Amino acid sequence: MEEVDLIRQVFLTESVEHLQNIEDCLLAMETNPDDTDTINALFRAAHTIKGSSGIVGLEIVEKFTHNVESLLDKVRRGELRINADITEVLLKCRDHIASLIEIETDGRLLEGELKATGEALKSELLKLLGAKQEEDKKIEASAVVEAAPSYNASETSNWHLSLRFSQNVLQDGMDPISFINYLSRIGEIVYLATLTDTMPSLEEMNPENCYLGFELEFKTDFDKKTIDDVFEFVREDSQIRILPPHSSVSSYVELIRSLPEDPLRLGELLVKGGALTQSELDAALQEQDESKGRLGEILVKDSVVHPEVVEAAVEKQKRAREVKSLESQTIRVDINKLDQLVNMVGELVITGANINQQAQRLQDGSLLESASAMSRLVEAIRERSMQVRMVPINEVFTRFNRVVRDICHDSGKEIELVINGGDTEVDKTVVEKISDPLMHLVRNAADHGLEMPEARAAKGKRAKGVLKLNAFHDAGCIVIEVVDDGAGLNKEKIIKKALERGMLNQSQIQTMTDGEIYRLIFEAGLSTAEQITKLSGRGVGMDVVRKNIEALRGTVEVSSQENQGTTVSIRLPLTLAIIDGFLVGIGDSSFVIPLDMVVECVELSEAYRESKDRRSYINLRGEVLPYLRLKDLFEESSEVSKYENIVVVKYLGFKVGLVVDNLFGEVQAVIKSLGRLYKDIEGVSGATILGDGTVALILDIPRLVSIAEKMEHLVTDSQ
Amino acid sequence: MSVAGVTETTQYLTFKLDDEVFALDIAKVREVLDFTTVTKVPRTPDFMRGVINLRGSVVPVVDMKLKFGMSTTQKTVNTCIIIVEVVVEGESAILGALADSVQEVIDLEPNQIEPSPKIGTRLKTEFIKGMGKRDNNFIIILDINKVFSADELSLVQGANGLPAASDQ
Repeated sequence: MEEVDLIRQVFLTESVEHLQNIEDCLLAMETNPDDTDTINALFRAAHTIKGSSGIVGLEIVEKFTHNVESLLDKVRRGELRINADITEVLLKCRDHIASLIEIETDGRLLEGELKATGEALKSELLKLLGAKQEEDKKIEASAVVEAAPSYNASETSNWHLSLRFSQNVLQDGMDPISFINYLSRIGEIVYLATLTDTMPSLEEMNPENCYLGFELEFKTDFDKKTIDDVFEFVREDSQIRILPPHSSVSSYVELIRSLPEDPLRLGELLVKGGALTQSELDAALQEQDESKGRLGEILVKDSVVHPEVVEAAVEKQKRAREVKSLESQTIRVDINKLDQLVNMVGELVITGANINQQAQRLQDGSLLESASAMSRLVEAIRERSMQVRMVPINEVFTRFNRVVRDICHDSGKEIELVINGGDTEVDKTVVEKISDPLMHLVRNAADHGLEMPEARAAKGKRAKGVLKLNAFHDAGCIVIEVVDDGAGLNKEKIIKKALERGMLNQSQIQTMTDGEIYRLIFEAGLSTAEQITKLSGRGVGMDVVRKNIEALRGTVEVSSQENQGTTVSIRLPLTLAIIDGFLVGIGDSSFVIPLDMVVECVELSEAYRESKDRRSYINLRGEVLPYLRLKDLFEESSEVSKYENIVVVKYLGFKVGLVVDNLFGEVQAVIKSLGRLYKDIEGVSGATILGDGTVALILDIPRLVSIAEKMEHLVTDSQ
Repeated sequence: MSVAGVTETTQYLTFKLDDEVFALDIAKVREVLDFTTVTKVPRTPDFMRGVINLRGSVVPVVDMKLKFGMSTTQKTVNTCIIIVEVVVEGESAILGALADSVQEVIDLEPNQIEPSPKIGTRLKTEFIKGMGKRDNNFIIILDINKVFSADELSLVQGANGLPAASDQ
């Protein structure tokens, strides 16, 4: 039972990828409908879903996907050309498969709306299949005409099967002979040749491996699917090739080229089996004597095959090999294992810091040396283990191709999605959590931001709106921008709404900057959308977007220009687990300030300290630098220390000074949660454990500043 | 006369706050630590003493005496942190409770437990599971989930934005 669950789990994760693949391929084919690689990838994905859903017992999914697969098979064989209608149906099918997988793994029944959708899609699929069958006949007819004058089609009416089982087939519990036996039950094996070319010398041979290959001429009335299904369980690892009767010579040539054995020998076998005539092969052999070229080239020269066909075949093989090698270089790892690893590395960092401190205390030269060597290594391990969790942000971005496409389809807008910096890497957890807020922003931009083509034309803009997703690294953060060239935010409308809701009063508005006004859209209950559409204006609002982003220790900013567009930029930390911090002391407590915010440290001079009750800003090289006295803010009752320092932090482009008692220097802080009890604490984003085992709190600078602002408002309001 | 919900012999850990003896169901107690450095989290009520490092985890520590309206727990050689597992809002959480000293583990039969009196303990009645009889003394058995319930801890949440209500 447990094993079944495990297999299902694997199936679920894989099916998500395959479905994503299907979507990507379909979208790619909208611009490039004849790319065979994409078509093949598409077919493979659908086929794998069908196959594996059967294995894990999801029959509904299997049945439905079968129809999709049949259609794609026709496409793959060039019998049907993908067009917008088919893409539309296939995209819907893809969504339907996703819902089917969901309900069937939950053990729910297929009913209601979903069932109806399924039926509708199925009949559409069947219609497409039927329509194409008529085309089939046409193609067949024309093929006969073409074939007549040349010797391009072989005369045999037998199927040709090339079987190269994987070496592990016996260990996997399959016996090649049983496949051959089974074949003889659905047809007649006219000719069978066993290839022993890959058999190593006796010393190297592993008796548990299968080294044999088979070439068969097979006569049957069944269709390709039936024959193909015989090899269902070995298809993944084995090379199974099936050529239907009357295949063109070129497909035989391609077959020969793709098999590992000597082409000449294979050629002979084909003749013996009756797949090719002796004359066809002779001509090729003769050429070979003269030019010592390879069979493929000879056949090309002989105009038996067009050069492009061979080139394509070769290119394809090369690519297949590359893909294969890529596959073998990645492994799927349970995210929990990674988390554990990262946690332990975190502990290692803490222990390392501890050892360093001890070494410093003992002042033992060689110990200090080893300690610093170790911290370098620990640092390297930390970075590597962090990198393991890093994935390209594209994982999220590519999803939006479909979203934008659907919005265009539903609303009649024309939108071009431009993705920049998709390979920017970010922590897997961040990618997962940013997906929903981004989805909301993209929908908002497409739905409310970008105008209808006519409206755009009236404003003198290109009819096609541009929606850009940019990602780049900046100062230890990843910045994600959602940029549209639409109508921009309407300041008056926002203000009006805010006044209606009582969020602001008239006098506050006078002093607000544009940025502050735009920020209001992130407040709960403020939607400038005039009508609720299918896509947005419901569900999560911008306030939820902001909360989600802040929960990731990120910030979100919006800038806009009327009729020029809106830019929402999200700034997120690269990882959620460890930060580089700057350790400071206030009274007896230690606090960590995220290092990427620290600009510089200056001493708070005597003159300012004396006037501290009057004002809280200093002159920093001619700049006004407001500062916060953390001790006051935190109500620490310890005495004012002799020296105070200001740590200058930069946040959202403006600088603030934080007055602290001591500066301890840089630390690597493994972020620990403060737990549920402190979940609503403001000004502190987490805790970390220092080298001496005590806990230091990590300051949440943006929040601290806003707390200080509120407190100051209280003071000024009461004046 | 016994207390509803207590039907079999249960082991309790007894501890002292000032001179009064309290008890906790041993099943809720994870371990007992010596008093270590507690890091105060700013802008929280005084009874939230702060957080400690428990083998790499950050664990909050509550001063039960302050919570129960007594004086602040002073650090002595006997001061302990009792690490308990409580259920807050349906999720289990680990936290430390300060005690002046930890006494012993005792067995109490259901018939040794009296319902809590309505008045006289100077504690909220719902904090008390019952009164254990031992020799001629009473031991206050705490319902730790109630003491650290979300409502009680919401005082922490009251500290947002403005100075905490528990300012000096």
